[in-house]
Amino acid sequence: MTEPILEMRGISKRFGTTQALADVSLALYPGEIHALLGENGAGKSTLIKVMTGIHRPDQGEVWLNGRSITINNPLEAQRHGIAAIHQEPMIFPDLNVAENIFIGHGNRGSIVRWRQMYREAADILARLDVKLDVRSSARGLTLAAQQVVEIAKALSLDVRVLIMDEPTASLSAHEVDQLFKLAKTLKANGVSILFISHRMEEVFSIADRVTVLRDGRFVSTHPASEVTPESAIRDMVGRHMDDFFAKTDKEPGDLLLSVRGLSKDNVFHDINFDVRAGEVVGFAGLVGSRRTDVALALFGIETADAGSVTLNGQPVTIRTPQQAVKLGLAYVTEDRRQLGLTMPMSITTNITLPTLHQYANRFGLVQQRAERQTAETFQQRLSIRTPDVDRPAGTLSGGNQQKVVLSKWLNTQPRLLILDEPTRGIDVGAKAEVHQIIDELAQQGMGIIMISSDLPEVLAMSDRIVVMREGRQMATLNRSEATQERVMAAAMGQTK
Amino acid sequence: MTRKLLSWEALLLFILIVVVLINVNLSPFYLGLNNQINLFQLSIEKIIVALAMTLIIINAEIDLSVASVMGLAACTLAYLHAHEQPFVLSLAVSLLIGAAAGAFNGFWVAYAGLPSLVVTLAGLIGYRGLALVLLEDESIGGFPEWFNQVGQQGLMGSVPFSLLLFGLGVVVVWVVLQRSENGRYIYVIGNSADVARYSGVNVKRVKMALFVASGLVSALAGILLAARLGAVRGSTAQGFELDIITMVLLGGVSIFGGSGTLTGVVLSILIILNLRNGLSLVNISGNTQTGIIGLLLILSVLIPNWLASAQSWWARRQESAAQVSG
Amino acid sequence: MNSIRRTIRPEQIREFILVLLIFAAILFFGSQIENYYQPRTFTRIASSVAILVVVAVGQTLVVLMRNIDLSVGSIVGFTAYFVGRAIVNNPELSPLSIVLLAMLMGGILGLVNGIIIAYGRVPAIITTLGTLAIYRSLLVQFSDAQTIITSALPEWLVNLPQVNAFAIGEWELKLIVLIALVIVVIFQLVVTYLPWGRRLYAIGSNPDAAAMSGLPVTRMTVSAYTLCGALSGLAGFLFLARFGNITVVAAQGMELQVVAAVVVGGINIFGGTGSMFGALLGTVLIATLEQSLLRWRIVSEFWRDALLGLLILLAVATDSVILSRLRAFWARGGVEQVQIEN
Repeated sequence: MTEPILEMRGISKRFGTTQALADVSLALYPGEIHALLGENGAGKSTLIKVMTGIHRPDQGEVWLNGRSITINNPLEAQRHGIAAIHQEPMIFPDLNVAENIFIGHGNRGSIVRWRQMYREAADILARLDVKLDVRSSARGLTLAAQQVVEIAKALSLDVRVLIMDEPTASLSAHEVDQLFKLAKTLKANGVSILFISHRMEEVFSIADRVTVLRDGRFVSTHPASEVTPESAIRDMVGRHMDDFFAKTDKEPGDLLLSVRGLSKDNVFHDINFDVRAGEVVGFAGLVGSRRTDVALALFGIETADAGSVTLNGQPVTIRTPQQAVKLGLAYVTEDRRQLGLTMPMSITTNITLPTLHQYANRFGLVQQRAERQTAETFQQRLSIRTPDVDRPAGTLSGGNQQKVVLSKWLNTQPRLLILDEPTRGIDVGAKAEVHQIIDELAQQGMGIIMISSDLPEVLAMSDRIVVMREGRQMATLNRSEATQERVMAAAMGQTK
Repeated sequence: MTRKLLSWEALLLFILIVVVLINVNLSPFYLGLNNQINLFQLSIEKIIVALAMTLIIINAEIDLSVASVMGLAACTLAYLHAHEQPFVLSLAVSLLIGAAAGAFNGFWVAYAGLPSLVVTLAGLIGYRGLALVLLEDESIGGFPEWFNQVGQQGLMGSVPFSLLLFGLGVVVVWVVLQRSENGRYIYVIGNSADVARYSGVNVKRVKMALFVASGLVSALAGILLAARLGAVRGSTAQGFELDIITMVLLGGVSIFGGSGTLTGVVLSILIILNLRNGLSLVNISGNTQTGIIGLLLILSVLIPNWLASAQSWWARRQESAAQVSG
Repeated sequence: MNSIRRTIRPEQIREFILVLLIFAAILFFGSQIENYYQPRTFTRIASSVAILVVVAVGQTLVVLMRNIDLSVGSIVGFTAYFVGRAIVNNPELSPLSIVLLAMLMGGILGLVNGIIIAYGRVPAIITTLGTLAIYRSLLVQFSDAQTIITSALPEWLVNLPQVNAFAIGEWELKLIVLIALVIVVIFQLVVTYLPWGRRLYAIGSNPDAAAMSGLPVTRMTVSAYTLCGALSGLAGFLFLARFGNITVVAAQGMELQVVAAVVVGGINIFGGTGSMFGALLGTVLIATLEQSLLRWRIVSEFWRDALLGLLILLAVATDSVILSRLRAFWARGGVEQVQIEN
């Protein structure tokens, strides 16, 4: 094998009392796609931030082409040919595609030569075999298109090491395929790609080598051919993983929710399904399938244009979340950070937010002792790991934050609970706990709608699965007839 | 090393003591009851508006139009009085106009989703414009005797009216912020309006209510100002927003919303009152005082920023020192 | 349809509507005011535009990168006064050095704003609300309550506003108007063709991405505020030339007109979109309304500020509602945005 382009040697980084990275080494060779795996908190993002100059390592060295270098900021990293594409692309919506590609260049002369820029941008996109109008405004580009712009930007900078941090998290399967095609083109050009993903099947379809981190430490690097999903997961969690948690079978109760012909112009069309008490109805589909929009329409954040919703036999029109909560609906958002929790405020405050009026006396004053009691009850019930419930929600780990969001909604005693990607971005242990909670709630007779992009999760947890694609309901499968293949085929529009 | 070097309130208390000590040195009468009461009397209008503004800024909005609403309410009162309307009715209409002005701001912010900065900047110009339309370049006074009494002597029993009002305002705002359901919503919305909305909080209603309250309180303040001055012009209360916003921000309320305490705001009000008074004692003109308030406004955001960077610099130094020894 | 979408952007439609509005206003006032269609009306509006637009150009630079400068009125007053005093004390100073002095003075005040905002990380609205008060009080403090009077100024300066760049019959284009127009054109070129100008848009469009892409956000902020200050200084010079008598309240409240002009001109208050021509159009509309109201008998001139407030609100409301719809329509034109060939 040739010499590595980029080598991280014995990197350590500490934040306060947390050892984020301890003596981690990693080598990237030209023309390889290198997957980096690890649970949340394993140190993947810290390692990337060291590579791109956002953090400086406490110990260890970064070697580029056989020379030790220091990287002080993202700009220096860029000059060394190291670029990163983040989950959320860094796009300037008011500039056009070509400008987005070149805006970071400091050396394009003292005057903007528009024509030349358009030509060069078009050349780069052509190298990627992409058709995208270089003059169109970046506002309104799809996420996939934005990522293409990011890749073009990286190429224009003569990138030698490209870091892709969960680039597929928000892409549809079709878009993922296209992204991988691009990655292979880059690889053929000798670019070294560090690829981070939680999706095992993607990792094995594209990576040449796989490195696993655990608790900030290096665990293993193997050629992809020598790794199996089971062995990789064993490395990540350091223990054998039991079979996926599965929902307990139970005879469903009364009809709770009935949705008929629900439509919203240009968003979703003619959605029909029922939820009975004690049932989990899974919503499968790729990103862009508009599952979340259906949930938001049920919860009163968006409004549907047509169709009917019947709750407990009563037709209802839900226009605001307040109304939805009163009717016994709860919606656990997919975006915990922006929509689920207010991070600087206490766990207690977050838990009692939707039900705060129940804690207020007739003068509108909040009874803080009762509030705290509620929070502590949930802390025990869902085993939220925190020294006390007055801590800011932002100090918790992802899994525990998700439990706080669940507590907040369980406290409203909903009859129908809508879960949107309930286990996204939380570690394997917390994931199993969340599944167990969902099962218990269903056992107690709650109706549950679970939107999830995690296929095994949907299959294991749901009594019935609604599959959506681009705003249309493609299939409704019973537990017995649902297989990964069938769900995926429907989600990709392959059914007759 | 995440411990704070100094709490902002402690710093404010320290500054307050220093300002008072300097003032006492300058004038032996400084701590006299009359002088202290006088302090409140001369600024009570700004103070009560600052209390309302505290809620708005914690809610991550801003109301630049308060001084213009004060002027508009005062001018409405004078206009109606000059047109021989019953005085009590005129008072009621003025208050109503203030609430309406606030509701107009609130509508655009809460229901149309426009940034409050721009909406209330338009209000700052527009409401002042309406005040000018009413009085043109006249000055109108001749209010009833009892009305002027409220402003000029302002004693109800042995407690000055303005001090009473200040105390009442502080208690009300404290209870709202720290103990009430709506106060909690104000903080949560200030931190993240989306989280509040997704939790079933009626964000629009809270914002609307705050702007109406701000308009109403500003109108009340404008009326009090009219009573104290005895006459009103189109330019009455012009530029007051500077003092008012400074009182709130110096008090440690974050301009980005979501955090801040009433203790800080009360301390900063006391600092500004005593500072202005002390500057007057050494014959510094009102205009220069305004400049100094402007400086204070900038420093009230600049210094916490510096402290934060100094703190992280210190933390980094400690860390690297620990590494060398370890 | 797609070809139209490619050549015309929603922002240009916005500017076109503004042109129509200006014509509508002129037609309306023409029907209301006797002898409205006179060269005199044009000259009056144009002279008023000349001063305002120079400040508006500076303000646009700042607003494009998602900032605001409320201290411009104080800077104009400050430079008008102290440049005036410098001339009174040194009548032999050349016109060029006077102009440079004005721009230097304004530039320094703008630099102070920029440093506080960029390095002190104090929000622009707070900083410039503070310096609005500080600069004005410095002016009052150091003026000793004296006034600059026309008779003390050199003749060339007093006559400057009357100098024609060229004239066709009675229709005259004053030199100061021409200067202002040249500045608009120069800065339109700057924001279109200089990397510095493009970065203004980038930073205003997405400040986080700008920092991550290594754009010099801090330096850009300082330089934009310095330029805004320098242009306000130049406007201060024009202000001095036009009015001659300068008191300590000169140009007080001008910041509101300027912000109004910029917002009405379609420069997004959240940065990233807008042009210098937009700022010019906004200024022309506001100056037309202002000058015409002065002569309109039916409605008192005191309606000016009330209308200005309403105009800002309407401009922002239309931008947020209509422009976003237009943009959505435009974006939909590119549904099949990416095709990767096999």
